[in-house]
Amino acid sequence: MMKAMQALLGVLFLSLWGLTFAPHTALAHGEKALEPFIRMRTIQWYDVMWSKDKLNVNDEVVITGKFHVAEDWPRGVPKPDATYLNVSSPGPVFVRTERYLNGQASVSSAALKLGGDYDFKIVLKARLPGRYHLHPFFNLHDAGAVMGPGHWFEVVGDPAAFTNQVKTLDGNVIDMETYGLANGIGWHAFWFALGSAWLLWWVRRPLFIPRYKMLQSGQEKWLITSLDRKIAMVILLGVPLSVLGANATTDRQYPNAIPLQAAMDQIEPLPPAVNGGMVQIKVQRTEYHVPARAMTIIAQIQNTSDQSIRIGEFATANVRFLNPGVSPSRTDDSDTVVAPQGLSLDSADPIRVGETRTVRVTALDALWATQRLDGLIRDADSRMGGLLFLYDTNGKRHIASISTAVIPKFD
Amino acid sequence: MTTKALEIPPKPYTGEKAKLSRAYDYLILVLALFLFIGAFHLHVALTVGDWDFWADWKDRQWWPLVTPLMMITFPAAVQAVLWSNFRLPMGATLCISCLLIGSWIARIFAYHLWNYFPINEVLPATMLPSALVLDVILMLSNSLTITSIFGGIAFALLFYPSNWPIFGMFHAPVEYGGAQLTIADLFGFQYIRAGTPEYLRIIERGTLRTYGQYATPQSAFCSALLCTLMYPLWWYIGRAFATTRFVKNI
Repeated sequence: MMKAMQALLGVLFLSLWGLTFAPHTALAHGEKALEPFIRMRTIQWYDVMWSKDKLNVNDEVVITGKFHVAEDWPRGVPKPDATYLNVSSPGPVFVRTERYLNGQASVSSAALKLGGDYDFKIVLKARLPGRYHLHPFFNLHDAGAVMGPGHWFEVVGDPAAFTNQVKTLDGNVIDMETYGLANGIGWHAFWFALGSAWLLWWVRRPLFIPRYKMLQSGQEKWLITSLDRKIAMVILLGVPLSVLGANATTDRQYPNAIPLQAAMDQIEPLPPAVNGGMVQIKVQRTEYHVPARAMTIIAQIQNTSDQSIRIGEFATANVRFLNPGVSPSRTDDSDTVVAPQGLSLDSADPIRVGETRTVRVTALDALWATQRLDGLIRDADSRMGGLLFLYDTNGKRHIASISTAVIPKFD
Repeated sequence: MTTKALEIPPKPYTGEKAKLSRAYDYLILVLALFLFIGAFHLHVALTVGDWDFWADWKDRQWWPLVTPLMMITFPAAVQAVLWSNFRLPMGATLCISCLLIGSWIARIFAYHLWNYFPINEVLPATMLPSALVLDVILMLSNSLTITSIFGGIAFALLFYPSNWPIFGMFHAPVEYGGAQLTIADLFGFQYIRAGTPEYLRIIERGTLRTYGQYATPQSAFCSALLCTLMYPLWWYIGRAFATTRFVKNI
């Protein structure tokens, strides 16, 4: 019985150990890992789109979108003085060939301004076949990664067909996949051969016990021969001379070599697209009803535009709560973080021109829990933020960024 | 005749004893190989890290400062053991060779095959020329003081010129995205690294531009000074850990 138990445990252990070597596909990138208040009140993404999702190797996909930098930036998160618009992918299965912020080409990090509106465009070139889940996202210095919406892409074709040629300012066209590889391997092989020869020179003779014994018995002079000393002298002179010679040759080969570039891009925000002045929203109270998974926002809305408006959507941390009938129909059915009927109002009447009305907006869906946003009530900073999308009778959209303290209701 | 006869080196062991002693040599060498591949590689990955991993981290200031300083450690400790006990002047070369074996294994399997980075983006730096010179200075001087001063200086100063023939070509300029970049910078932009954004690079920061546009020599000499201090520190660490105190009772 005991032996059977031991055998069973052994098989179980080996199976678990074996599982660690089984390949797994990464299905997520920690997009829910960051605290909810950071995901809701830093980078507020919207209108993110992909030009295609089925590609051949060497094909390009264009990711476009917009984001608003929240005014109510959390106090515990460093200000976005150094940020990097990135793409979350399982390694460089795509290469990023172009990136634009507000229409300006950008290859480096950039500072963002609180309350600023930005649009972006990223061009990716398919490099390796496979099915990948990509997100645009922002690396925020000392804060973490704030993910944008994700999407699946399928790449087919021959990975050997991938090319990535670049022209240097010296006029040479190089292949980034192989440039400098043979030279690097050659130098490593050369020095490794020399180092190995030196090691073999010593290893070929009796080593530890005999040498220790001879050293202890005062026969040290036999351990280092005059030939050893001559070879050492050759190394002492020859290695530095070779190094300096190769260094000078490289300098002559690449006279225009420059240091690594450490500049930061300067990108000015666009004219306000969010909080554009046509609609003023003042949040009076917000409650999160835990059992119902419903966020209720009581807000005073003033319509200073020239058309009646209705609330169509509330979006926060890439989760969209839609008000059916008001919000435009969805075009991307693969987007799983949408609650199509998740938004309701206490009154369906539009807010008329010039009217100021207190509105009760309820965003109700299990997505609060599945996207781990309900953890907000246990955060050190339990304020929520997000974008309210309002539409006038002509379909024109007004966007307002709101932020508010959240009071949990447990019964 | 008598004098010449005395010049024949003594052989402490012959026959079966010599064979056993040789087998012991190989056992220790194989163990040392794996130990240093693992331990030294881990040490460098944790201390030098990104500077050694990525082409676009290998700058003029921090890379030549940090790399020799962190890579003289194990060589000094192993030299202390191999030279003091066996008069074997190969501690530095052995350590750096093991490090390079570990680095190349990691670059090929972890970075290239597992994470798809082109190997030319993740070429490791070499310190073998520095290690060879450090070994021969110890052997010729038989002095900790001289090796600390001249060996430490040589170890650091030889680093950048040893690696420039490998990495210089990655500093050719490219016009990209409306800016001037090096090819190394372009690797960082094109080949997506989700967890290591550009702003994390600790490059070209500091006040080492006092003497015009040349930052490398100052950085290299600063590293040389620090290496002269780091070398004896790790020599004594090596001596302290190379003890039979714990096996005497076995």
